[in-house]
Amino acid sequence: MKRFGWPWFAASSGLLLLLLIDVAAAETRPQYGGTLRIVIREAPDSLDPSDMTQADSFARRNLLAMIFEALVTLDDRGRVHPGLAADWQAAPGEQRWQFRLRRGVKFHDGSELTAEIAASALRTANPAWRVFAEGESVIIECERADPDLPAELALTRNGIVKRNGNGRVSGTGAFHIEDWQPGKKLTLAAEENYWRGRAFVDRIEVEMGRNFHDQLVELDLGRADLIEVAAESGHRVTTDGRRVSSSQPMELVALIFSGDAQSAEEKLLRRALAHCVERASMRSVVLQGTGQASASILPNWMSGYGFTFSSDANLELARHEREQLRTSPNLTVGYDANDSLARVLAERVALNARDAGIVLQPTTAAKSDMRLARIALPSVDPWVALRSVAATVGMAMPKVSGNSTEELYSAERALLASQRVIPLFHLPAEWATSNALVDWIPKADGGWRLEDVWVGSLATGKERP
Amino acid sequence: MLQALDTVSFSKTTRRRIGVGGESGAPLRQAQGRFSLWPAGRRRCLLLAAFFLLSLPRFAAAGSWNGPAQQLAQKIVSVTGPGAVAVTVEDRSSLAKKDVDAIGGLLRVEMESLGARPVNLEQAAASVSVWLSENPKFYVWVAEIRAGKGEPAVVMVELPRSDDGGFSRESAPESIRKIPLWAQEERILDVLVLEEQTAPTQIAVLDGEKVAIYRLKNGKWAQEQSLAIVHTRPWPRDLRGRIAGAQDHLFDVYLPGVLCRSTTSLPLALACRESDDPWPLVTPGTASFASSTHGMGAPSLGAFYSASRNFFTGALTPGVGKLTTMGKFYSAAALPRERYVLWLFAETDGEVHLVDGVTDQAAKFGWGSDVASIRAGCGAAAQVLATSAAKNYAENGGDSVRAYEIADRDAAPASTALSFSGEITALWTEPKGDSVIAVVRNRESGEYEAFRLAVVCSQ
Repeated sequence: MKRFGWPWFAASSGLLLLLLIDVAAAETRPQYGGTLRIVIREAPDSLDPSDMTQADSFARRNLLAMIFEALVTLDDRGRVHPGLAADWQAAPGEQRWQFRLRRGVKFHDGSELTAEIAASALRTANPAWRVFAEGESVIIECERADPDLPAELALTRNGIVKRNGNGRVSGTGAFHIEDWQPGKKLTLAAEENYWRGRAFVDRIEVEMGRNFHDQLVELDLGRADLIEVAAESGHRVTTDGRRVSSSQPMELVALIFSGDAQSAEEKLLRRALAHCVERASMRSVVLQGTGQASASILPNWMSGYGFTFSSDANLELARHEREQLRTSPNLTVGYDANDSLARVLAERVALNARDAGIVLQPTTAAKSDMRLARIALPSVDPWVALRSVAATVGMAMPKVSGNSTEELYSAERALLASQRVIPLFHLPAEWATSNALVDWIPKADGGWRLEDVWVGSLATGKERP
Repeated sequence: MLQALDTVSFSKTTRRRIGVGGESGAPLRQAQGRFSLWPAGRRRCLLLAAFFLLSLPRFAAAGSWNGPAQQLAQKIVSVTGPGAVAVTVEDRSSLAKKDVDAIGGLLRVEMESLGARPVNLEQAAASVSVWLSENPKFYVWVAEIRAGKGEPAVVMVELPRSDDGGFSRESAPESIRKIPLWAQEERILDVLVLEEQTAPTQIAVLDGEKVAIYRLKNGKWAQEQSLAIVHTRPWPRDLRGRIAGAQDHLFDVYLPGVLCRSTTSLPLALACRESDDPWPLVTPGTASFASSTHGMGAPSLGAFYSASRNFFTGALTPGVGKLTTMGKFYSAAALPRERYVLWLFAETDGEVHLVDGVTDQAAKFGWGSDVASIRAGCGAAAQVLATSAAKNYAENGGDSVRAYEIADRDAAPASTALSFSGEITALWTEPKGDSVIAVVRNRESGEYEAFRLAVVCSQ
């Protein structure tokens, strides 16, 4: 008989140990119940999707997306899917669109979704559109052919809202409003009869107006499940062992001029400024490697051609251009006083400008020659995103004959040629989450999808602080 | 992870000079000056012939690149005009290297056919940088053309990215084999194999809105029928469902609060009604464990499923011995023994209850929510497959499945863990009992993939 030796015993024990260690894992199927706690920096004081007085941000969009739904949705590739509209079609020429509503959908107040309410919501959000109800359908008539209308309807502002008077609003989303303290706290409860199926968590509590440091403390103390991470801190938060998730780079950081260049001299100055900015070193030092240096309005992942706009600094060329100026330029760059990243970036741009011989003074004053702006791109659809940026900087979207990528490039090139925008970076939205959060997979555009998330520790019965 | 994906596409960036332009273009031109044209021309012809012969299979495989390559070549040559052009091709996409090579070859051939002559940069009248890029919807091929000192011209073509992405066949693990059955965007709830020879030839795929019948014809699956599932109430999130073969008709479909019954033969009809009838935990009317040579077989057992959640309520019919009520559970597995059947219930509190009709013992095995029994040809006759959650999707991939033997109320691993590329959303024992249907949501593609799992005995 063969005797078992120590090597065999050690090897088999090791193998068994490995097998057993790997066995120790959590439940796989979603659990119903529990409360999800979110802490954010934004402090919106309105939950009306069409309220344009509110600052746009990923957080606000996500809050609204839990309550309100649009006629259609976009997936991560920008493909349009049915939402509150079951199907749609365009008349020849793509000027008149018909969206047939899904049957049986109810608002949180118990009333039926009707074409009249949907049309009214869209008219409020888009005063320039001609929108009306026709039977079970919503008809939208555009001034000219608009093949991107379905993608535009997926925007947050086009969420279908029912206004009940006294400023109260009702939606059809996965969660209804349980408690709302404007600018401070929002409590949402799962809608039992949600048409896409009840969310797993019972309740979501959102605390607003907390800075990034406070948010991190809340997460570490186990008092938050989902917090925002400042773009420049993502690397540090990750290396500290926390769970951090990112969207695709969806935020454009750019220098925005308030008006067109009035002279050849001013055009040359703007060109010199664009050439002197050292994006790569700023990304490396200030942003800690987060995001992408960019000289295009649309991020490369969205357009596929962004790399053709060179983001490399050319200080020699900038100096050469500066030397051709007859006057000594003295400019100001404004930034949001509450945004520490914007301040640091504005200061770095000012330093680069000084190296090229341009005096650029950072300021928090409301009036400045240019602003360092952070624009959250509203859609993964490149046409909708470009149109939105054009509107944000106060420019008309250049007219192009079709909607191919080459025409998109032409439109973006024309916008850049106007010298109203000097793109600097594209940054992702980032979040840190507690270990209790399961199936947390943010969308490419920074959407949260919290109706699919569940609280894992419920299964173990552990008390949460 | 999303960001990482982008980074990956950039890290793939490779630069290569295509065709004979960069390498042989210069010598050829020198040859024209120093030597007679014919020998050089012959060499060139031989080189081109060799290139074509070597490239033919690749070009044939990459037939879909022909049109866009032709379009891009036309756009480039419309700017450069015929003559000496230096071309580089750089990949910034998720295309495979063989496709990049094929596209480069096609582009060169198309440009040459339009009169562009590939040369190296020093001798070129124009230089063209081609990037094979992409955005979420399209492959975007961009060409930047520099001729003279002016601004470069940029032209581009786009072509839709294919959605199928292929159904990657992963190598078989040591002791659980997975056979891909079906993949689709809609959530797959269950798959029933209706006909098979050495492999399935007809399957029924259940999702939330339909049962689709597919048949394998000439090596390709073709849809034979699509039977709509009529339901009035919204489905619960984490929708689950079963499609079970029946004795007097083809199959029954069990969904939360809904029961559908098919007719007997093709073309089928499906009649659905609201129902709280119990779901079968062991598929009735089939071979199941009853035909097993091991043990006594498992009698039919049904369980009531919550119409608005993702678990069984705990009520059993007819029950295990005297036990007719359990705690809420996600899944169950039957392990036939010589004199009884040991039932395992994976309850929603994470405990596994082992029930034999007399005793009910709770255990914590650290398993996932889904268990399914399987008859193995080795080791213990009946084993249980249990899911396990991925600890970290980025590092460890997705959920996994492992076979266990239950001895003395203890679970001992009987196989290595088989990892998947996402969450396991369904795990149901097949009627014959020797295989299990697993459905996985692929984290990369977002598609649902159904596999047949079987235990493979080591030699």
